[in-house]
Amino acid sequence: MKEKIRQHFNLLFTEAPKTRKALDLKQEMIQNAMDKYDDMVAEGYSEEDAYRNVIDSIGDVSELFTELEEKNLFTLSEKDRKKKAMLTAVAVGLYIFAGAVFYFFSSGMWYSHGYHMGNLGLVIALLICIAPTIMLVYAANMYPDYSKKEGSNMVERYKEDRYSSNKETAVRRSINTIIWSLAVVLYFIISFATFQWEVTWVIFPMALCVQSIIRLIFSLKGDGKHM
Amino acid sequence: MSITSDILRGHTEAIILSHLLDQDSYGYQINKDIMKKTNNTYELKEATLYSAFRRLEQAGYIRTYWGDETVGARRRYYAITEDGRRMYHGYKKEWQEAKEMIDKLLK
Repeated sequence: MKEKIRQHFNLLFTEAPKTRKALDLKQEMIQNAMDKYDDMVAEGYSEEDAYRNVIDSIGDVSELFTELEEKNLFTLSEKDRKKKAMLTAVAVGLYIFAGAVFYFFSSGMWYSHGYHMGNLGLVIALLICIAPTIMLVYAANMYPDYSKKEGSNMVERYKEDRYSSNKETAVRRSINTIIWSLAVVLYFIISFATFQWEVTWVIFPMALCVQSIIRLIFSLKGDGKHM
Repeated sequence: MSITSDILRGHTEAIILSHLLDQDSYGYQINKDIMKKTNNTYELKEATLYSAFRRLEQAGYIRTYWGDETVGARRRYYAITEDGRRMYHGYKKEWQEAKEMIDKLLK
């Protein structure tokens, strides 16, 4: 009879979202149903009557499932999904714009002003490319929010940690992208302005240095949090 | 009886909170207490009970943890938070006022 109760719950939960919360809830409801069944049998009810009573007292579970749906760990919230789509769209738009700027400068129209105009176009296009690159890196590193709960168990705390470190990684990657894009752009601007190509490469080791400093600051800050 | 159970259902959350004031408890225990107090006339449907738990948990009025029973299956316990206590006392006061008002109006 107990197996029948378990099967009934399995059947009920086939429509439930496949989340850990739903599994927990099923476990909890089965356990409580078993307790009730045991109590009723101990009070002298027949097994059949006890089973009927337990099943009847479950009620309408569809209301429960809709609440569990939003907690799915693997989907972004509606707001974040829109934000991500928006970021991607704007980024693609900016890339196209950068390409158009480059084409505009390198076309014959500007030739009369001197032959460096094509290079200037490249620099401006690269500058424009910084913004969409940052946006794409950020969008690619967006993870679903994991809501914080009091008294969460170890699994939940682990997931929270994962989430917060995901966010940190996203920020760090964005910063790296900024540093390297800026380095490339500065390299071209300074090189074209001064024509000192044999010196200007120093910018790249400098960028590496800046990156290391920022990583150090991050790790120091991370340690401070635990203290 | 249908009015009674409708009104009772409307207070499910407060009823749960009041059962957690003195000690932590789990779903079936709370339902059993309710049945005992109402002389076996009222019992919460499980779906009602558990969706109320989820709502209370989301609002931060209760927190939940798995018990560490060594024999048999583990139970999921609920404990009231400070916010929950405050909520309960506010709710009870309001209910008292509403009750007096309805009593006067139905005379």
